[in-house]
This record gives sequence, structure tokens and C-alpha cells, in this order.
Amino acid sequence: MMNAKIIRTLVKKEMLDVFRDKKTVIMMLVVPIILYPLIFVGAMQLMNFIASSMETQNYRIAVDAEDGDAFLQKLLEKAETERETAEEPGAVEAKGESAYEITIVDDAAVSDYETALNEETIDAYVSGRVQDGRMQYDVYYLDSVTNSGYAAGIVMDAFDDLRDEMTRQRIAAAGLDVHEILDPIGYEKENLASSEQSLGSIMGAVLPFMLIISLLMGTMYPAIDTTAGERERGTLETILTLPVTNRQLIVSKFITVAVIGMISALLNILSMGGIAFYMYEILEMQTDIGSFDMTKFVPAILVCMLAIFAFSMFISAVTMCVTSFAKSYKEANNYITPLMLVVMFVGYIGFIPNLELTQAMAMLPVANICLLIKNMLVFKVDYGMIAVVLISNVAYAVVAILFLSKIYDSEAILFSEQKGSLQLFEKRSNLRKGGVPTVSDVWLVVAVTILLVLYVGSLLQVKYGLAGLFGTQLILLLVPLALVLYTKKDVRQTYGFTGTGAAGFLGGSLLITGLYPINSMLASGLTQLFPGSAGNVETVFSGILGDSALVSLLVIALAPAICEEMLFRGLILHALKTRYKIASAIFITAALFGFYHMSLVKFIPTGLLGLALCYVVWRTGSIYPAILMHFLNNAYSVIIIYYPEQVGRIFPVFVQETFTLSDGLLLLGAGLFLTGIGGYVLKKCRK
Amino acid sequence: MEENDRMEVIILMKGNHNMIMADHLVKTFIKNEKKNRKSEIKAVDDISLTVREGEIVGILGPNGAGKTTLLRMMSKLMRPTDGQVSIRIGAEEITDEIEIKRYIGYLSNNTKLYGRLSTRELLQMLGTIYGIREKTVEERIAQISQVLSMDAFLDNRIEKLSTGQTQRASIARCLVHDPQVYIFDEPTLGLDIISSAAIIDFMKRERERGKTVLYSTHYMEEAEYLCDRIVMIHHGRIISEGTPGELRSKTGQNSLRDIFSGLILSADGSKEGLFGNGELQDDIVSAGSGAAGGMSRQTAKREGMYDER
Repeated sequence: MMNAKIIRTLVKKEMLDVFRDKKTVIMMLVVPIILYPLIFVGAMQLMNFIASSMETQNYRIAVDAEDGDAFLQKLLEKAETERETAEEPGAVEAKGESAYEITIVDDAAVSDYETALNEETIDAYVSGRVQDGRMQYDVYYLDSVTNSGYAAGIVMDAFDDLRDEMTRQRIAAAGLDVHEILDPIGYEKENLASSEQSLGSIMGAVLPFMLIISLLMGTMYPAIDTTAGERERGTLETILTLPVTNRQLIVSKFITVAVIGMISALLNILSMGGIAFYMYEILEMQTDIGSFDMTKFVPAILVCMLAIFAFSMFISAVTMCVTSFAKSYKEANNYITPLMLVVMFVGYIGFIPNLELTQAMAMLPVANICLLIKNMLVFKVDYGMIAVVLISNVAYAVVAILFLSKIYDSEAILFSEQKGSLQLFEKRSNLRKGGVPTVSDVWLVVAVTILLVLYVGSLLQVKYGLAGLFGTQLILLLVPLALVLYTKKDVRQTYGFTGTGAAGFLGGSLLITGLYPINSMLASGLTQLFPGSAGNVETVFSGILGDSALVSLLVIALAPAICEEMLFRGLILHALKTRYKIASAIFITAALFGFYHMSLVKFIPTGLLGLALCYVVWRTGSIYPAILMHFLNNAYSVIIIYYPEQVGRIFPVFVQETFTLSDGLLLLGAGLFLTGIGGYVLKKCRK
Repeated sequence: MEENDRMEVIILMKGNHNMIMADHLVKTFIKNEKKNRKSEIKAVDDISLTVREGEIVGILGPNGAGKTTLLRMMSKLMRPTDGQVSIRIGAEEITDEIEIKRYIGYLSNNTKLYGRLSTRELLQMLGTIYGIREKTVEERIAQISQVLSMDAFLDNRIEKLSTGQTQRASIARCLVHDPQVYIFDEPTLGLDIISSAAIIDFMKRERERGKTVLYSTHYMEEAEYLCDRIVMIHHGRIISEGTPGELRSKTGQNSLRDIFSGLILSADGSKEGLFGNGELQDDIVSAGSGAAGGMSRQTAKREGMYDER
């Protein structure tokens, strides 16, 4: 199937084809090599401009006071020192702020200070008078005028200095120790973060976002070019005359897009790094920003590089999934815009402070890369987490590409008169009523639904507990239902809403009751093999379970029984049945159900449960027994959590931490016996 | 003189050995109609066809008769709704999609070439994909380039080539793996005299080498001149097949043009009349000028082309 030589040749061809396309090369080279330096030079120019405009700033302050007034003296003094420092070469940069001049405007010239301020002939107006035996000054300025605000600030600084000076003089005059009274305690703050960490935390917010966007831009054009572009240029039909499989074709295109993504990301990093280094050198010459040991960033940058490679595989796979179904460049662009928005939106996650890279976060696409890069730059290293992020990205990419090569129907894409396998993008009025959604539609909607559950669902669960869990179930139900209704499919047929005899319900119940103990033993065994991963219901729901067993029963048992069954044993199974043999359809559905639970330990038990449920739906031709079975399965867990004592009295094995071999064998035997009877009853039942 | 040569070649090369077989092929399309209607159209409706080694078989039929769909299914670009295609190589009968493609050179107006590659690069890539040794590929490229006189532009990017040069590059593409069967879908459509003559010569030459050619055309004279056997299809079904001579004696008509229009008329039934089916109108006019009593300008132009040759 996967002939390496063929794929290598195809990749070579794609590479030649893409690199000879000016648009791609420009996107890849111009942005990092020309645009970044340009932005940087522009920013420097702007900064210089602002600095120079501040430098020559002259603040005109009018003071309505006697000539010998203490404040006036102070202000004049301040103006003098300011003028002296400003004349020293290099003094402005050394202070890290702009210098200024103060001109004391004769207050006699100011007849109405309010008008003068508004006309900006003066920047601030100070009037002093004697009140309650001491001087009272009022400072007038306009908050809306920048210079006026600065002038007022300078004036207030002068007051602070003056008050400090007078306080010290009076304490000394009273014969007291100035230091003892004014500084009764000493304190100082010290930043223990290394200068590299501080720099890293600044970069960590911006860098992931920039990298993700540049990667997206870098992969977008080759993805469109190799898929929709190939179709538009009419070469797809040519390549289909060759002895090449769909998978070889898709994989070679994927490799091309991913490699180009990596190259463009590397160029981006090099360019950004070069500019950062240059900027640092300049800043170091002019100011004291602390010294950095850039070599400390080397491991972080290496890990970031790996992360970017993994991400470029992920993003290439995702963009290709989108563009492969487009028939033209324009259509592909239309499809890719929403994807871009989503990726950018998630990319902002780097800007959110205090967001930790948890085990769950490490599985979230896009977000995991952002957080990993952010963590690496502040030297938070957790090798396990790095591995999870890298592996999950590569795994998503591989799964997406394998799925794509499965559902990519070159014939439907090429000869468009053909019944479109993606009806979602067709005009609704063109769709025929009835039937079951197409496999391609279902894959697309399932992917969207699972992403929604991952992002929105987990947020809902963290925020609203049980209610959020219910919300997640609603997503599972409503999003696919929207597809069925939009594409005008037969709801009854799609979901298997057909009646069945009592035998189906009885057999199903017996089957699930037998499977439950087998599955719990499997789960606890696997939990011991892989400690730490959440295996059983208690650990998963421990945070959100309420007091009411009835509510939990509704949310944890009834809602999933209906919603998950309608999605998996309804929509997915029935759609797959139209394309694959029944055994393959059942296995794919069951495996998907296992994956959906997002846990290594749960995969086998939930996969087995999925198999049993699919089998019953196939045998009875109805989804109702499966809903009952799913309800029973979850209800058993809820009952064990809420009534451990009662359950313990009857079946001690279910509540014990560990159980003996004989207990286990007994349980297994009983389970298999019940499963067998259930299977027998089901065999007898007619469709 | 030429007729005699041809006979000799056929006797020499045609070992009556079946090369490519179509077995009860059916292709159903769902067609969008106005409003919510969709209808199923059988583009190819139960066609069985066998082409022998060293034989040129022409598929004739009006537009929409199912020629392209049939050829796409036979070259494994399209999956049949029903039925099977197989190729016989030696004693072996091959039905695997990918394997069959190895023995077929397929050319249509939709098989465009990669504009950003040169012809040489394209041929090298194809050679590797067909699993031919690098040295053999180079030798074959040199040979093909000489035969099709492509040396001058072999290393130019295909997007820079003229129409005639591109057409030659397309033929080179079909040649690189030296296939047993050529399937050409209207290869001479819209070409000037020199280019179409080159293609016709090419098909004749390949037949002489014992290769099998299955091709579709609109041009009656071309078919009559070139084909060993003619298969006429209409509405996705074979309405008649045989050598030009057999067709003549079967229908009592002398020119292929008259045979064709007569067959189509009888297939459509008398009540529809000559212009009853709007879709076919133009084709019937161009295909059967005798019956229609006149000739469209387009037809006249096509005819002229053949007269000149």
C-alpha cells in the first residue's frame, strides 16, 4: 500500500511544483525575511520619533505666588537641574526617560488661567494662598491634553520634594533624629527571577501566537495548491491515471505541506531570533536592561522547534482536510477562513496569564502548543508534558490524514456531477429528502462535535459541574441532529427509531449486566497498570457529583444513554453501514466510542461496551435496547457511588479496593454467564 | 495500397487474444434538477465490450451517449456502479484497480500536465511511479523524444509550450510506461490537421506494434479510416458493433454516417422523430447529414478537414 518510492517521487514532484509557484515562495520567504525587519525598523523609527518629540518638550507653568515663595524656588531649582542634565551628552538615554525644560510663565501675563490652559499657551497653572495658617496650593491642568498632564506631574513632583525637605527641616528643628522618625523600618524588593526568565515570560505571551499564525500562513497556500489547485489545473485526472492509491497521494501531499510548513516556521524563527538579537545589542549599548545569557534559551528553543514541527504536521493535516474538498482555489479559501479564525482565537491563549499546561490541556490542539512554548520560555520543564503535547499533535495529524485518505473520494471530487459525498456544502434545495447522512458528512460533523465537546464542554463542566456535563451531552445530541435535519435525512432511519420486541430489551439488559462486572474488573486492572490516568467514574466525576442520586442518575446515566447512543449507535453506525461491511462499521463505531472517552485506561472497556451496543442495534434493528443498556451500565456506577454500603452488603466485590482471585473468577464467570444468556436471547430476536 | 498494408498487419499482429474486457458495466449518476428534484441517470447501462490485442476499436456516439464515462471506467478512473473491467496480461487476468492502471495509457482533454515541470521531469517522475528502472526511463525518454521530435523543448516548462507541443508532451506521458492498451477520449477534438494527423499516425503505429487502442470520436471519416471495429453507443447502451464492413452489410447503408444516423433514429423510435430529442439534435445533424438533408457549418468544417487529408 505505502510504497516509499512512489511517495518519495510524488513528494519530489509536489515540492518542485510548489516551489516553482511564486505565490508560495513569496509567502514563505518575504514575510520572515523582509516583513519582520521592516516592522522592526518601522517600530524603531516610531520609537525614535516619539523620543525626539519628547526631548524638546518645554513645559510652561504659570505660578501665582510671591517672588520669595518656597514652591516657586523649588520649581526654579528643578528647572535648573533639568537643564544641566539635559546638556550632558547621552544623559537623556541614561535616564531612560525624556528630558524636558520648564519655563516659568509670568502669572501677570495670564489673565484667565482656564482660557490659557484651553488655548495651550500654558501647560499648568499653580496658585498659592494662605489658609488655616499654612500655604495651600491648587494645581490646574487639563487631563485631556498630554503635555498638560505631564506638566502637572512635574509640579506634583516638585511639591513632593518640597514637602519632604520641609518635614526634614522641622524634625531637625525640633531636635529629633530625622532618620529615626522618617525611616522607622527598612524595606526593599528584589526580583529573584533571572533576567532570562523575565525575558522569557514576555516572549512567551507573544511568540506562540506569532508562530502559530506564521505556520498557518505558511501551510495554507501549499495546502490549497496541492489539493484544490491541482484539481483546478486539471492535473488531478492525469495523476489518477497512474497506479497510485488515494492514500499514497494524500500522504505525499501531506508530507509536502508539512515540510513546507516546517521550513517556513524555521525561517520565521531565525528571522525573529536575528531581529531579537540585533535589538538586544542596540538596547544593551544604550541602556542598562540587565545582561542575558542567551545560551540558556538553547534547550527551550530546541524543544520549541520540535513543538513547531509537530504543530506543522497537525496544521497541515487540518488545512488539507478542509481544502481537499474544495473544487477551486476560491472555494478552498472560503473553507479555510473559518479555520483560520478558530486557530487564531485559540492561539490567543498564550496571552492569558496563569493558565497552566495540565494533562487535559496538553491534549487540546493549538492550545497545547501555545502553552508548551510559553512554559519552555520560562524554563518550566516537564518532560512528560512535552511528550504528551508532541505525541498528541503528531497523532492527531496521522489520524486526520488516514481519515482523509479514507474519505477522500477522488471520483466525487473530480467528476462533480457525481453525488457529492459532502452534502453539507451543497445547496440545501439541491438535496434529496430521506436516507442516511453520507459518511463524509458524518466524519466532518463528528470532528466538529468532538472539538466542541473538548473546548466548550470541558469549560462548561469546570464552571457548572453537573449542569455543564448535561450541556456537553446536549452538544453531542444537537450538533449532529442539526446535520441530519439540514441535509433533510430520514430521522427514523438515521437513528434507528424503530420498535422491537421484548426479547431485544431483555437480551440487551442481560448482556450489559453481564458485561458490567467484566468491564469494571478490566478497568481496575488497567488502572493499576497505568496509575494516574482516570479510570473509573468516581475519579472522573468526584468533583462535580451533587448530593442527589436522582439528579446524578439523570445527568450521568439517562442523558448519555440518549445522547451518546443517538450519536454513536444512531448516526455514526447507520452512516458507516452504507459504506462498509457491517462488521467494519461496528468495529469503527466501537473504537470511536472508545477514543471519545479520551483515556488510555477507558479505551478497552468503553470499546467493549461500544461493541456490545453496536451488536444489539444491528441484531434488533432498533436503537431503543441500546439506550436502555447504556442507561443501565451508567446507572450501576451511579448506584455504587451513592449507595456503597447497600451495594457492599449484597455484592462486596464492587466496593472493595482489591479483590481476591476467587472473587475475581466468580465475578468473571457470572459476567460471562449473563452475557451468554443475553447473547442467546438476542439471537432469537427478530429484526 | 495502404489498405493492403493494413490487412497484412492485422493478420500478423492480431492473435485474437483478448486484451481488455468490460463486463456488464453500469454507471449511475444522480443528477440535480430544478427545485428539489433529483433523478438517476444511467450514463452507461450494461455495456460489455472486449478489445483484442493489436486492434483499434472506435466508440461512436452522440454527446451524452456515455462514451467518456465508459472510457473512464475502463481506464479505472471511475468506479462502475456495477460490472467489472479486466485486463489480460499473458495468462493472467487482472482486475485490481491499481494493477490495471499500469497497463493503460489514458489520454483525454481533461488530463492536463503539470505546467511548472518540464516534460523531462514529468516523464522521469512517471517512470519512477510506474516502477521502471532509472536507466530504462532515460533510454525511453530519449527514444520518445526522438519519435515525437520533442528534443527542442524537452527541458522547457510545460506551461511555456505551444498547444501542439503540449499535445505531444501528453502523448509522451501515455508512452513512458509502454502500456499494452491505449484509451483515448476524443484525442483529436479541436486539434488542427497536423496535430490530429500526428495522433492518428501514432495510433496506427502502435497497432502495428501489437498494442490495443480503444478510443472515442465524433468524426465518422476518421473512425472509418482507422478502426478495425466500431462500437456505436446511444443512451448508455451499445446499439451496434462490428467492422465497418459488417456494419455496412448489416444496415445496407454505405457510409458510416448514414449507418450511424439510421441506428440512432431506430433506437429512439419513430415517434420522437429526428429532432425530438433536443439534447441529441446537434449531434444527429453532425453525425448524419444524409438523413438530415443538410450539414451544419461545424460539420462542414470537420468534413473539410478530412477531405484535405
